[in-house]
Amino acid sequence: MALPKHLQHGLTPDELTFLAEEEVISIVPSFSMTKIRVLSGVYGPFVPPSSTSVPLWMALSLKRKRKCRIVAPEWLQVERLQALLKEEKENQDGFNKLPRRFIETGKVLLDVAPDDLHLPAQLRSLLKDLREVRQAKIRLGLQSEGVMQGSYLQMNGLTPLELMELKPFLVKAMGVLQTLEPRKEERDGYGASQT
Amino acid sequence: MPALREVAFSRAKDATAEVFVPSSLDNEQEELAPLRIAAPEMADEDYYSLQSILADNHKLTCSFTLAVEGLGYLEGGTDADLQENAKVELPFWLAQTLSINEFTTFPLPQPYSPRVRAALNASAPSVKLSNQVGSNGWWYRWGSKIADVLDDRPQADLLKIMFRAFVARLPPLQDLSAHHASSDHSVPESGAGTGENFREGMEGDERELFRIGQDSGQMIKAWYDSTWGQRAFARR
Repeated sequence: MALPKHLQHGLTPDELTFLAEEEVISIVPSFSMTKIRVLSGVYGPFVPPSSTSVPLWMALSLKRKRKCRIVAPEWLQVERLQALLKEEKENQDGFNKLPRRFIETGKVLLDVAPDDLHLPAQLRSLLKDLREVRQAKIRLGLQSEGVMQGSYLQMNGLTPLELMELKPFLVKAMGVLQTLEPRKEERDGYGASQT
Repeated sequence: MPALREVAFSRAKDATAEVFVPSSLDNEQEELAPLRIAAPEMADEDYYSLQSILADNHKLTCSFTLAVEGLGYLEGGTDADLQENAKVELPFWLAQTLSINEFTTFPLPQPYSPRVRAALNASAPSVKLSNQVGSNGWWYRWGSKIADVLDDRPQADLLKIMFRAFVARLPPLQDLSAHHASSDHSVPESGAGTGENFREGMEGDERELFRIGQDSGQMIKAWYDSTWGQRAFARR
């Protein structure tokens, strides 16, 4: 109750990005260093031309200091995204399964390391298209007949970020619907307790 | 009048007794039954909700089924006593208790009348619910509170009407909350149940839903517009 309204419904996009920064990504360092130990594990050694895996936050931080080159994840490539987009459009009944931190990782990489990606402008517009196709599906799905009348709603394949955008509205709407549902047997008991 | 007050108090006492039952484990068999009833009752009342309290305040026209001494002033006249069948506007929280105990009766109020129902059946999104229950009142909330007092049949009817109305009004509401900020307001509106026209007709809970939808949309948009490492923390 003490939390500000916009934090009450769950994680914010910034918090989700923070979580995404724990995922491991490959980098090619441009400096030499032995292994290092951080809370999440031991990373390194950093030996220039060979690549190594570090958490995303470390990769981004090193990148901003121009100390490494980030190796793009295999899904962040124009051909892969085009294929994903095509699949997403063809699959009218559900959502394609994306990597869990797909949106967040894609966005921060495009923010910080566009020069390490192949055709960043195209990647950006593909990611946007993908988002729009999925948003349109969400909208259609919610507005189709009878969806909101059940006691729960199942949506497979949404990433946490998309869910976060949707959840506050849905929770409130279903709360209102719940108060309008037919009253159950409780009436009888209520009458009985008076006597 | 003392009789009325006693009834109200004893009912309140009963309610608390039921709620505290779980701590005492003796007589488990007998005591568990009322508990199951009491728990949802408390949840439905949404005790901490200010909207719920405000919705409770809306006036309902009741007629007394018996004469009451000394309450004539409620009618606004000079009579000391309230006559049987006298019509009085009572705030709902009072009317509720009186009606459950059958001291008063009331016809289904105008916001839920056949006329409004017919309009809802014709096209739910184009009905302006905002001014039905007071100005900017809570049409669904008040209605479901009234439904709680009604008998089985009219109760089920009223709830069904409201349920259908809400489900039918949800799609335009969702569209509006998602796209209101980005839509072009200089273009004249088309249908009666869309855009600005719909927005003006929203009742209390719908307006809150609209705001919630807008807020989360804005939050996502701010995130997309920000750059990693230079996030804008001042959001509102």
